[in-house]
Amino acid sequence: MAEEKKGRAVATSTAAKIPKFVRGNLSATLKAKEEGKKVAAAFIADGQDEIMRAMDIVPAWGESFSGVCAAKRDAEKYLQKAESDNFSRSLCTYATCNIGFDMMREELGGATPEGAPWGGMGRPDMMLGNGQLLCDPRFKWPQATQHYQQDVPVFVTNMYYPPWDPNADHHEQEAIYVKYATEELRETVKFCEKITGKKMDWDRLAATVELSDKTWDLFIDTYELRKHIPTPMDTGDAMNTMVPLTFNLGTQEAYDFYVDLNAELKQKIADGVGVANPEKYRIIWAAGLPSWFALGDFQYFNGKGVVFPVEVTYRGCEKIERLDLPKTNDPLEHIAWRWVRYWTHWYDAAKKRPGSTPKVERIIEYIEDYKCDGAVFHSAFSCRSWHAGIMQQAATLKKVYKDIPILIMEGDIVDISSYNEADTHNRIDAFIETLAAYKKRQG
Amino acid sequence: MDYFAGVDIGSTMTKVVIVSDRIEVSLIGPTGPEHRKLANRVMEEALDKARLTFEDLTYIVATGYGRINVPFADRQITEITCHAKGLHSLLPSVKTVVDIGGQDSKGIKIVNGKVMNFVMNDKCAAGTGRFLEIIADSLGVPLEKIGEISLTAEKIAAVSSTCTVFAEQEIISRLASGEPIANLLAGIHDAVATRVSSLVKKLNVEADIAVTGGGAKNIGLVRALESKFGRALLVPPEPLITGALGAALMGKDIFAKYMAEGQKPTRSVNKLEEATFFE
Repeated sequence: MAEEKKGRAVATSTAAKIPKFVRGNLSATLKAKEEGKKVAAAFIADGQDEIMRAMDIVPAWGESFSGVCAAKRDAEKYLQKAESDNFSRSLCTYATCNIGFDMMREELGGATPEGAPWGGMGRPDMMLGNGQLLCDPRFKWPQATQHYQQDVPVFVTNMYYPPWDPNADHHEQEAIYVKYATEELRETVKFCEKITGKKMDWDRLAATVELSDKTWDLFIDTYELRKHIPTPMDTGDAMNTMVPLTFNLGTQEAYDFYVDLNAELKQKIADGVGVANPEKYRIIWAAGLPSWFALGDFQYFNGKGVVFPVEVTYRGCEKIERLDLPKTNDPLEHIAWRWVRYWTHWYDAAKKRPGSTPKVERIIEYIEDYKCDGAVFHSAFSCRSWHAGIMQQAATLKKVYKDIPILIMEGDIVDISSYNEADTHNRIDAFIETLAAYKKRQG
Repeated sequence: MDYFAGVDIGSTMTKVVIVSDRIEVSLIGPTGPEHRKLANRVMEEALDKARLTFEDLTYIVATGYGRINVPFADRQITEITCHAKGLHSLLPSVKTVVDIGGQDSKGIKIVNGKVMNFVMNDKCAAGTGRFLEIIADSLGVPLEKIGEISLTAEKIAAVSSTCTVFAEQEIISRLASGEPIANLLAGIHDAVATRVSSLVKKLNVEADIAVTGGGAKNIGLVRALESKFGRALLVPPEPLITGALGAALMGKDIFAKYMAEGQKPTRSVNKLEEATFFE
C-alpha cells in the first residue's frame, strides 16, 4: 500500500503556491514551441536570468527538474540511465538525473518520456552553461548533454569573483572581475540574439534588472521577519519559498509572491503563531543543499520544538543598499557588480576576525541576528563544489566563534540510496539532546 | 528504595541495568528481529536476578537503536547521551568516548558527564563490529579470539581496501598467498582503528579516552586504537553496559527532577506484557 503523505502542518499558506510556480516553469518549456519561443537549458544563480526574461527565452532549469524527480522519489530510473552510459554515481546527481532524462527523451525522438514527474521538461534550443567558482558541473554538464543533443548549441561563460585571501585587498580586484563578468554577459546576449534572431531590448532589460533588485530587497525584508521569536517560518518552508527568487527572478510573479509571503509572516507574528509550540531551540541551516526526497525531516525537527529561522542555502540575494553598488547605466554591468559584491561583501567582516572566512562570517552573523543555539550542515556526497569545505567551515566556526552544537548530516540531493531515515532521525535526536545540555550549560 | 532501569537495544545485543544507589544488576542478551519480545525477556531475567518485580521499578529509560520498540519504557533517550552519562559515572576523568558497536561506531566528547559533541559512522560497515565479524568468519576464527591472535603477529599485513566486501576478498587472496592469519588480523584491526580514529579525531580529542561497545572487548582492536591515539585507552569493566547504565541513571535524574518540583511521575506501563514486533 502506498504510504500516505501528510501535509506540512506548519507550512505557510503562501508556500502552497510554489508547486504552481514549478509546474508552470516546466510546462512553459513544453509549450514554448507552439508559442514561438526558444528554450534554454539554464543554471541558477549565474546572472543570466534577466537576459533570458528580457528576451522571452524560456529557461529549462535542470536543477529544478532533478529536484522534483528527487522529491517525488522518482529519480532512480534517470540516474540508472545515465549510469548505463558510464556516468559515475559520484558525479553531481542533479546533472546525472537530468542527463538520464535527456538520454531517454532523445531515444524517443524528442518526445517526453512517459511518467516523467510533473510532465517533464521540453527539449532545449540552446544550452547556457556557466563555469564559476561555485560549481564546475555548470560547464561539464552542458558539454556532456551535447553528446546526446548534438544539434543544440552550447554557450559556456564564466562569472568569477575575487577568491578569498585575507592578505589581499579585494576592493582593488573587484573592478577587474566586474569587467570580465560584464563582457561574459555581453557575449551571452550576442549568443541569445543569434539563436532567437531577435535583438535585445535594452530598456526592457534595465526594467527587468530593476524589478530583480526590488525582489532581492523584498526577499531579505521578508526573511528577516523570521528573526521573531517564535519564528513564523522554517527552513522547511524556505526550501520551497526560494523558488520565485531562484527560478523566476525578474518576473512580476516572483515579486508578488514575496509581497504575499511578507504579509502572511507579519500576520503570523501579530497573531503569535510560530512554527513550533513551544519553540525550544533555534538552529541555523548553515550549509548544504537539502535532500529533496527527505524534506519531511524538517518537520521531524519541528515536532520536537526545534526550528530553523534562517538558512544560508538559497538565500541567494542581499539588500542592494548593503552591497553599495557603483552607479551604472549598463544593466549588464549592474548584474556583474551585484554578482561580485554578493560574494565579496562578507570579506571585510571576515578580515576583522583572525582565522575566519567569509562563509563562516556569514554563518556567525546569522547566528547572532536570528538568535540560534546550534547549526546543522548537510553534506551531499555528489555535490563536491558546494559541500567539499563543510567540515572545515564547521571546525572554523567552533574555533573562531564558539563551541556551539553542530550536526553534520550526510546524504545527497537526489540519490536516495544514500539515505536512511532511522539513522538520520537517531542523529537528530542525539543532536537535540546535545542542544539541551548546551543550553543548560549556558544557563 | 527506588529502582531505575535502563534498557539499551543495540543492533546485536540488548542490555538491561537496574540501579538504586548502586548497580543492582546488569544483563546482556542478543537482539533479534523482535525487539519488543527480547526487551521483555531480558528485562524479566534482570528482575529475577535482582529479586525485584516490574512494579518495583520507579522509572525506565530505553536507549539504543531499538529504543522506540520498548513499550514499557517511560522515556526514550539516545545512546549518545546515555553512553556519556554511564561512562562518566564509571570513569569520571574521561572526556572522549570511542564506541564501537555492531553496526556503527561513534565518538562522543563529554563535559561534566554531558555530551558536548558527537560524530557517528552509520553509513559504512567498515569501522564497525560487523566488519570484524565478517572477517573472523572468512578466516574461520572465533570472533572472541581474533584480538588475542592479532597480538601474536610478526608484522601488520596492510589491508588497503576500506570496503567490507573488498577487504574480505583481499584477505582471502592474501591468505591464499601464504600470509599468516595473525598478520592479517593485525592488519584488519589496524584498518578499523585507522577508520574509527580518523572519525573521532574530528572532535578535537581530549584525554582521558575510553573505549566502549563490543569493540572494547577485543584487545587487538584496543591496542591498535591506542597506537592511533598515541596513548593508553581506558576500558570500563563491562564495556557493553555503559549505555544501559547511563539510561538507568538518566531515569534517576529525571525522577529526582520531578520530585524536586513536587511532582511524582507516573509510570507509562505498569505490566510487562508479551508483545511482538508483528502484532
